[in-house]
Amino acid sequence: MIPRERCTYSAIVDRPPLKLPNQARIVVWTIVNLEFWSISRAMARQVLPAPTGVVLVPDVPNWSWHEYGMRVGVWRFFDLFARLGIRPTLSINARVCREYRRVARAAREAGWEFMGHAWEQMPIHKVDDQAEMITRSLDTLARFAGTRPVGWLGPGLTETYETPDLLAAAGIRYIGDWVYDDEPTEIRTTYGPLITLPYSVELNDIPMMLVQHHESAYFTQRCIDSFERLYSEGAERAKIMAIAIHPYISGQPHRIKYLEAVYEYINRHDGVLHWNGVEILDWYLAAKAEP
Amino acid sequence: MLPSERLGFSPIGQRTKLELPDGARLAVWVIVNVEEWDPTQPMPRTVLTPPAGGATMPDIPNWAWHEYGNRVGYWRMLEVLDHFRIRAVLAINGSAIQRYGPIARAALERGWEFIGHGFSQRSMQKVADERDDICRTAAAIRDFTGRPPRGWLGPGLTETWETPDLLVEEGFEYVCDWVLDDQPVRLKTRTRPIVNLPYTQECNDVAMMLIQHHKASEYYDLAIDQFEQLYHDAAQSARFHGIGGAPLHHGRAASAPIFSRRARPHPRPFERAVLDRRRNPRLVRGAAENRVRASPAHSFELRSEPAGLVDKVAQRPAGKETPAIVENNFVAPVVEVGAVSRGMRR
Repeated sequence: MIPRERCTYSAIVDRPPLKLPNQARIVVWTIVNLEFWSISRAMARQVLPAPTGVVLVPDVPNWSWHEYGMRVGVWRFFDLFARLGIRPTLSINARVCREYRRVARAAREAGWEFMGHAWEQMPIHKVDDQAEMITRSLDTLARFAGTRPVGWLGPGLTETYETPDLLAAAGIRYIGDWVYDDEPTEIRTTYGPLITLPYSVELNDIPMMLVQHHESAYFTQRCIDSFERLYSEGAERAKIMAIAIHPYISGQPHRIKYLEAVYEYINRHDGVLHWNGVEILDWYLAAKAEP
Repeated sequence: MLPSERLGFSPIGQRTKLELPDGARLAVWVIVNVEEWDPTQPMPRTVLTPPAGGATMPDIPNWAWHEYGNRVGYWRMLEVLDHFRIRAVLAINGSAIQRYGPIARAALERGWEFIGHGFSQRSMQKVADERDDICRTAAAIRDFTGRPPRGWLGPGLTETWETPDLLVEEGFEYVCDWVLDDQPVRLKTRTRPIVNLPYTQECNDVAMMLIQHHKASEYYDLAIDQFEQLYHDAAQSARFHGIGGAPLHHGRAASAPIFSRRARPHPRPFERAVLDRRRNPRLVRGAAENRVRASPAHSFELRSEPAGLVDKVAQRPAGKETPAIVENNFVAPVVEVGAVSRGMRR
């Protein structure tokens, strides 16, 4: 099904405003992404292309750069969110539960929400049997976390035309791949409706740092600028601001303070809720059901 | 036809002085680009590459990222332009008029000028039948607005060797793809000449945010620098300042391209770039209808009648490059050079 068959165009100004509880204006949705990069394939991202730009396998320098995030960077995240009392959504390649058990356990113990993020980090287009991979990933996460995930984010947000149908069939209730709105929306699948939550490719360290090559400090500025506008708009209608981070990028020593500064700024405001994906989903479904 | 056959070389300092009405120096025109991205084709631009690079089909995340501009971002830009009472030029894909009806209706209600921007967002070198694409685009605009479009901006400014010829033959009077001057120029075609208006790849969020990857506030800085220099240059002969933006950019945080947009949802740099430069009432001179009024809102009076300069230019004999201004132009307030930077710049 192409996107237009799942959902028609809708201008945000033409919808009745959604309201948050207790006059809150904005939900901040933090998503930490944990990935498994197979050394037998080209690396998902590169900080250092090989001389002359060719793709090498194995690509040890870039593999180890990602590995830094799991060994060191992610522990800066755990510290930060424990201090703040925030329990983010964990977008996790299911294979991480096996290969980086220590990290996954820390997230489970901290009460983070586990969100499906494929088996390992490669475009979903290249997975031979997508339905099988989705089931295997969700089964693995369910066994590890004790609850079956209701959310899903494609690896690199990738989808084929069938993906939403396969996800709905596997029991997924919300996805983050459709970064097309400030509000949750409902899309059609062959297995009933699926909710999209406003994940972000703007407040996201991959596009910002690895694609656009911004300076470390710009992360804070962009988040503050976005927050200001959304917070002001939040007086009229509920707004959701997603912040998407990766330990091998934002967990670097020269970047972590700029992430910390974002939350320091946000938490000076009243009317801010730090919710995870399933909390946003439950609120949205209830709000929509109201007459 | 080769570019050199369409127009001769002409240094800007050696032309007849070009004058705007009421002693104005500079015309600013804001072009808002609204596009429809076909989800079954490769995306025209991307914010996120797939893991391990390459291009995936379908490309849902980048399709959705663009769609954000039309669902959310456009409406922020509208707020900015409404606040300053600026009538923009809407460069719109023919297919987008139906697809994004509320967007086209909002522009029509505000009296914006509609110009053709291809029937869909793909290179003019890739469309099966270029004339047919141009005709369908013109028809979509005519059917919706009641008037045929007079102007054209190629999708991504793309042209074939034949594009200007086809545009004239299908009734277009100006094109914006030739960013080779600060003044309008005339291009020869195999029939009548066509005017080229100075659009911009510089003060443009696609180039700035998606290709050069500037931070959002650079849009503001660049626009102000551009304005100051053009304003200075305009002491000799009128100048034209284009401001190009797409909802997917500027409707976000930082003017990517305003909407960059590229940062997320705040059009502030765009807003400031468009507006701050003409907001100081102290600097307003004269009472011409199209000058800024010194009201608290610093509102902007727009001329009610088209300037009609495109017509005048088109009637002049070929061979001499003469300027035109766009139908919905507005004229910048008369400010002293440098005044903009005093106390207004961050």
